[in-house]
Amino acid sequence: MIAKGYTEEHEILAFDDETGLGTVSITDHAQSSLGDVVFVELPSVGTAIQKGDQIGAVESVKAASDIYAPVSGEVVEVNERLNTEPSLLNKSPEDEGWLCKIKLSALEERDALLSAEDYKKSYES
Amino acid sequence: MSPLSRLRHVLPTSCSTLSSLHRTPCYAITRQASTKVAATFSDQSKPTNSIYVSLSNDPYFNLSFEDWLFRHAPHTRPLLLLYRDTPCVIIGRNQNPWTEVNFPALQATGIPFIRRRSGGGTDLGNTNFSIHVPRTTFDRTMTAQIVLRAVRALGIPSADVNTRNDITVAGEKVSGSAYKIANNRAYHHGTMLISTRLDTLGALLRPDKVCEGIQTKGVASVRSPVCNLAKVNAETTHDAFVQAVVDEFRREYGMDEDVQYVDDGAKTQLDYVRKGMEELPSWDWAYGQTPEFTHDLAHSFSWGAVSATISSKHGRIISCAFTPARGGDADLSRELSALSERLVGAKYGFLQKELETDKQEDVRAREVASWLKEKLNL
Repeated sequence: MIAKGYTEEHEILAFDDETGLGTVSITDHAQSSLGDVVFVELPSVGTAIQKGDQIGAVESVKAASDIYAPVSGEVVEVNERLNTEPSLLNKSPEDEGWLCKIKLSALEERDALLSAEDYKKSYES
Repeated sequence: MSPLSRLRHVLPTSCSTLSSLHRTPCYAITRQASTKVAATFSDQSKPTNSIYVSLSNDPYFNLSFEDWLFRHAPHTRPLLLLYRDTPCVIIGRNQNPWTEVNFPALQATGIPFIRRRSGGGTDLGNTNFSIHVPRTTFDRTMTAQIVLRAVRALGIPSADVNTRNDITVAGEKVSGSAYKIANNRAYHHGTMLISTRLDTLGALLRPDKVCEGIQTKGVASVRSPVCNLAKVNAETTHDAFVQAVVDEFRREYGMDEDVQYVDDGAKTQLDYVRKGMEELPSWDWAYGQTPEFTHDLAHSFSWGAVSATISSKHGRIISCAFTPARGGDADLSRELSALSERLVGAKYGFLQKELETDKQEDVRAREVASWLKEKLNL
C-alpha cells in the first residue's frame, strides 16, 4: 500500500510499505507557482540524509527553490530523466517527475507529515 | 536550448504604461534620520518591521540577514530590505563559477565571488533591493513596477522594464533581478547600478573564450549591455534610491512604517545570520553546489599529445579519461590510468596532492598532472 504525506515546504513522500521506500516529489501546487522548471539538482545515490536537509534545488523561469528531505534515510535512487527533461516536474509532478527514493531510517517520522487537507490549509491560511 | 534562452521566450512582455504615474522626487533625504540607530536582536527575535535598511556593506552579512528575514518574517506581510555591498561578483544559485567568473582577475583584486541563494545569472553587487511577499500573491512584474516607479521618481522618466523583467534606461540594463520561493514566501531582489565602476568590475566576469571546452548544466547568464543611473542623472545616489524605493513600497502597500536600520552587529545576535555567513564562503556551498559539468581539454607535450575529458559533480571530479594521440604506449597508459584514479573525488579547481606521483620514473604523467593543475586551478 502507498501512503502519501506532505510537508509545508511542498514536498510529498509516497511511502510504499512493501518496499519500505519513500518516493519524494513536489506538489502540483508547488510546480504551478514555480512555473516552467528549467533545472533540477538532485542528490547523489547513497547519500545519507537527515529530515530537513536541503537535498536538491529547482530553478524555474520565475525563481529558485530548494528541496528538503521530508524524512531521514538513504537516497537509493534518483530520477535521472530530470537531468535532461526538467519539464517533467510541471507535466507530471507526482508521477514521471518524481525526484528521488529514500530508504527510511526512522519510520516514525512519517507521522509528522501532513495530510492532504492539512497541507492545503498550510498554504491557504 | 539553454535554460535562459528558453526563458526569454516564455516571459510575458512587461507593460510599460506607467509614464503617466511619474512623480516628482519630493523627498530627497529629508525623511531620513540624521542618526541611524541600528536594531538589536536576540536569538528569539522575529522580524517585526516591514521596512529594513542595512548599514552594513558586507555582502555575506546582507545576504544572510536577507535570508533570515525571508525565513522568519510573518509570511502574509510584504517586507522590504535595502542594502549596499562592497564590490563583489554574485552568481546564481544554480550556476557554474568556472564558466561565470574570471578567477585570475578576481584574485588580483581580492574581490570575492559569492553564490547567492536565489536563481538567475551573474551580477555585480552594489546597491540592492529585496521585496518579500506571500508566495500566493508573488508577481514579479508587480514588484518590478515598484522599483521602476522609484527610478522614474529619481528624475529618470525614460526608465522602463524589459521582457526579462529587468529595469532598463535607453535599452541598457541598470538592474538585474533574481527570485526565490520557499515555503509560503517569495522574494524579488536585484541590484541597481548607480555609480558602479563597470569597466573594472565587468572584467571579473569570465570571457567566453576562457571557458572553452566546459559543458555545464544549470543556468547560464545572459550578457546584456549595462549602464549606471548616474550616467543619466548625475545626482543619483544610493541614499536617494533607497528613499525612493521606501516611498514607493509604502505607497504600494499602504504603509507608513518607519525604516528600521540594521548593521552587522546583528551577526553576533542572530545565530541564523552567523551560520549563513559561515555557509556562503564555504567550499560546500560556493563550489560544492555547482551543477554537473564536463571539461574537455588537450595539450601537445614534447613526447605527444594528450586529450582529457573531466566530469565533475557537486564540485568534485567524478571521472577523468585521458586519450593519448595514436593510443600511446603501454607505460603511458598505465601512468595515465593511475593518474585518473587519483583524480576521482578530488575538488575540481583545487587539485593538490591527488596529482603527485611517488613514482619518479612516471615523467610523462607528472607533466600531464602539472598541465591539469595549471588549467583547472584558476
